[in-house]
Amino acid sequence: MAKTTDDRLALLQGTLDMLILRTLQWGPQHGHGIGQAIRSQSDDLLKIETGSLYPALHRLEKRGWLKADWRLSEANQRAKYYRLTPAGKEQLSREQDRWSQLVNAIGRVMNPARALKE
Amino acid sequence: MGPRPDELDDEIRGHLALSIKERIERGEDPEAARLAALKEFGNLTLTRDSIRAVWRPRWLESAEALWHDVRIGLRSLRRAKGLAATVVVTLALGIGANAAIFSVVRAVLLRPLVNRDEDRLIYIRQAAPGIRAENLTFSIPEINDLKSRVTTVGTFGDFSTVDFTLIGLGLEPRTVKAGVVGGTFFDVMGLRPVLGRLLTPKDDGPNAARVVVLTHRFWRTSLKSDPEVVGKVIRLGPGSATVVGVLEPSVPYPADTELIANVVASPHHLGATMVTSRVHRMTELFGRLAPGAALEQARAELTSAYATMVREHPEAYTPKANPQLRVTTLRDQIASPARTVLLVLLGAAAVVFVIACSNVANLILARSVRREGELALRAALGAGSGALRRTLFAESLLLCGAGAVLGIIIARPLVAAVAGYAARFSVRALDVSVDNSVLWVGAGLALTAAVLLAYVPRLPSSHAPAGLGLASGGPRLTPGTNRRLRLFATTQIAFSFVLLAGAGMLLTTLMALQSARTAYNVQQVLAVDIPAAVTGAGGAGVMNFYREVTRRIGQLPGVQGVAVGSFVPWRDAGTFGSGFQFAVEGYTPADGEEPTRARMRMVSPRFFAVVGVPLVAGREFTDEDRGGGEPVAIVSQSIAQRLFPNGDAVNRHMLWTDPVFNLRGGPAVSRRIVGVVADADDENVAPGSAMTVYQPVVQIGVGGRLFVHAAGDPYALVPAVTRVVREVSPDAPVERAATLADIRTEVLSPDRLNAFVLSGFAGIALLIAVVGVSGVLAFSVSARTREFGVRLAIGSAPRQLLARVLSEGATIAAIGIAAGSAGGYLLSRVAARFFEHVQMPGPLPVAGAAAVLVAAAVVASLMPAARASRVDVVQALRSE
Repeated sequence: MAKTTDDRLALLQGTLDMLILRTLQWGPQHGHGIGQAIRSQSDDLLKIETGSLYPALHRLEKRGWLKADWRLSEANQRAKYYRLTPAGKEQLSREQDRWSQLVNAIGRVMNPARALKE
Repeated sequence: MGPRPDELDDEIRGHLALSIKERIERGEDPEAARLAALKEFGNLTLTRDSIRAVWRPRWLESAEALWHDVRIGLRSLRRAKGLAATVVVTLALGIGANAAIFSVVRAVLLRPLVNRDEDRLIYIRQAAPGIRAENLTFSIPEINDLKSRVTTVGTFGDFSTVDFTLIGLGLEPRTVKAGVVGGTFFDVMGLRPVLGRLLTPKDDGPNAARVVVLTHRFWRTSLKSDPEVVGKVIRLGPGSATVVGVLEPSVPYPADTELIANVVASPHHLGATMVTSRVHRMTELFGRLAPGAALEQARAELTSAYATMVREHPEAYTPKANPQLRVTTLRDQIASPARTVLLVLLGAAAVVFVIACSNVANLILARSVRREGELALRAALGAGSGALRRTLFAESLLLCGAGAVLGIIIARPLVAAVAGYAARFSVRALDVSVDNSVLWVGAGLALTAAVLLAYVPRLPSSHAPAGLGLASGGPRLTPGTNRRLRLFATTQIAFSFVLLAGAGMLLTTLMALQSARTAYNVQQVLAVDIPAAVTGAGGAGVMNFYREVTRRIGQLPGVQGVAVGSFVPWRDAGTFGSGFQFAVEGYTPADGEEPTRARMRMVSPRFFAVVGVPLVAGREFTDEDRGGGEPVAIVSQSIAQRLFPNGDAVNRHMLWTDPVFNLRGGPAVSRRIVGVVADADDENVAPGSAMTVYQPVVQIGVGGRLFVHAAGDPYALVPAVTRVVREVSPDAPVERAATLADIRTEVLSPDRLNAFVLSGFAGIALLIAVVGVSGVLAFSVSARTREFGVRLAIGSAPRQLLARVLSEGATIAAIGIAAGSAGGYLLSRVAARFFEHVQMPGPLPVAGAAAVLVAAAVVASLMPAARASRVDVVQALRSE
């Protein structure tokens, strides 16, 4: 089921934050878990580089959309668990709206016939 | 803020552990799992750094980027040392001049006085624009009228200046300048004593004890801050007085006096003339605004009270004089003489700054064209326009910072020089010190320049794919850049023109003053102050002293003539009133005509022969005109022509009718006119007509000035003259010996300084502008090598190219001059305020400035032009 690297999609700029926020809707998670979750949710199409993931997590924490605390992970290791703050939830819904608008718009451009029918 | 480093490591370690565990659970070998996890993670250090970067404050990030750019800039500037040095020096000149002048302006015009609530302190003055009198001062009846009619001024203080002979305090007998004040003066001024007490209303009135307060400067310099001075008794003029206190350091206004006495110490102040004559004006008036009253209210109330007073006493205020009341804060009054000068200087400094900036802008623009390739390359590699601007900003910040540092270094000595210069106009400039405002102004100007300069060059446009091609080629001038270069060069020429024309105007005015023909023999006549009258001996003693002194000096070898007078031309200007009313026999003024006024001068026999003023009719005074003899007078030609149009002035009579003299008691003395002399204007260096009446010293008793006509070097006579005077009277001071020519030079020194300082600015501006024009053309030529090569190849003569470049330089100059002419016209308005009694010079300085600039522009274009004509055709065509 694993895709080759060539089949993976490059992440659209600015969508990583939304994916992280979305993933954390299921509950607190550590960085590794978030990466894995995005990967498995996307059927391995999206693979988040740790070099992008961790700065993004810290950026969201700095902006107050995430909060973090330290717990023991399933590997019995201290791990930093992130969870959504109320502000983060609002941000997620804003980004979701924007995303669906974008998808819609692109869809109309790419598929004018269907757009007319709608 | 942000995670601690160990937390970061923990987080990463946790991630790896989970990743390894997952792989092992999938069945991988532990060691292989570890390696795979690490490989998957990627660059550990880089990730850690980028996480940390997230938490770093934004400004720190920009500062780091800027610092990075600054280091790059430093390196790239090191490769362009010549350019960097030119820019730094140019900016330093602009910044240094501005910082120095601004700190003097601040100290003289803006800093508050030490007086308590100094913003409530006002100065009231009586001006008479009709007779060009800025400050008539007040008489006691006028002051009393004003005092009784206004409520917005809480208290008034009065101050008049008197010369006393001071004996005591362990000093040589000397003439001191003293203030005489009413008891409210110090309370109004809001000053405190550093020793003893100041004067209060209890010191008023004729029965009070005679007391004086010493000014701080006199106490410190002449008395070495003697702590025991309070209580000492001194001889002051005719009587004695007790020192009761020492005043705190404060701006000496209205006069730099050495001590301040109560009214009773000055017999003159108790006399009838002083107390009752409305036109005996010698007192200055200060006031402190009543609580709640604003300056505007006080001005309105004082003006209306003054108008009423003028209506009630028509005899004391002539419509021609058009007297008016002026009310200002004391601070403004003290600053006002220096205001115009300093503001003009500040303007000149600002102009130099603009010129310096445009020159630097030119240099930087030219440089940025040369590095357009580099910028285009960086843009192509993904540098945003912000980053490119930041690079440019870092570089201009470096240049301007260095310029500011150098500018502040040169500003320090400049402040001292400008302050010494401004001290001629305002006493406040005496204690100007270098303070931090120099730093702030310097830093502010540098930052302004840096920001402006960073926005001068055009960034490589993303729409111009050709930009990248330039990376390999030589500089190429786009029309836009060329226009900008020329615009800056034109700006420099225009501003330089304004400065040059202004300096030219001051210089021509000064030269006209310096070389103005006077009636005096200015080279050979030595004037010496011998104030015999103030040393106490009076009456016949003084006359004998003068007679003996002139007799003995007349016998000295090298002396062609010697005489006594009462007034040294120009040096004593303004000390003897603005003229007194008089009447002559046989001339009745028409109805409504102003009473005639003349200056009164006392001279000894042979005076006119000695100073070189020609006798037009009649005779000079002789030894036969004695104290008890027939009262006689000599009039100037202006009086003779105006009042005796038939040329029969000699042997007619004149008498003084001014109320000042009538009040001294007795009828006015009628004097027979025995001679007419040429007009000699001893008040103004720019000679005008002079209505003057001369009287024999022996008949009036006022002398004190010795005039010696020397055959050779006048100064060689000074020791002999001093020795002779001392032989006759051992205590007599012999002071301020100088030729009339040197006195005129001394009197003109503020004008000379004005001209000198403005010429300095103009010179700097010219220098910068020449560099600017030369730089623009040199760059334009080097960028058009190919064009010139083509022209030469198709048959242009090198001479034609030379002429072409020269004419480009001349065009820049011509446009600049045209633009500057408008500014020059405005400047002539300003200069007219500098020298009010001098006609403005004609188009000569303007034409001169234009000629200088065109010549400079042509000279500046010579080198680039020569280079253009020597272009090697083959190489030029091959260069691309």
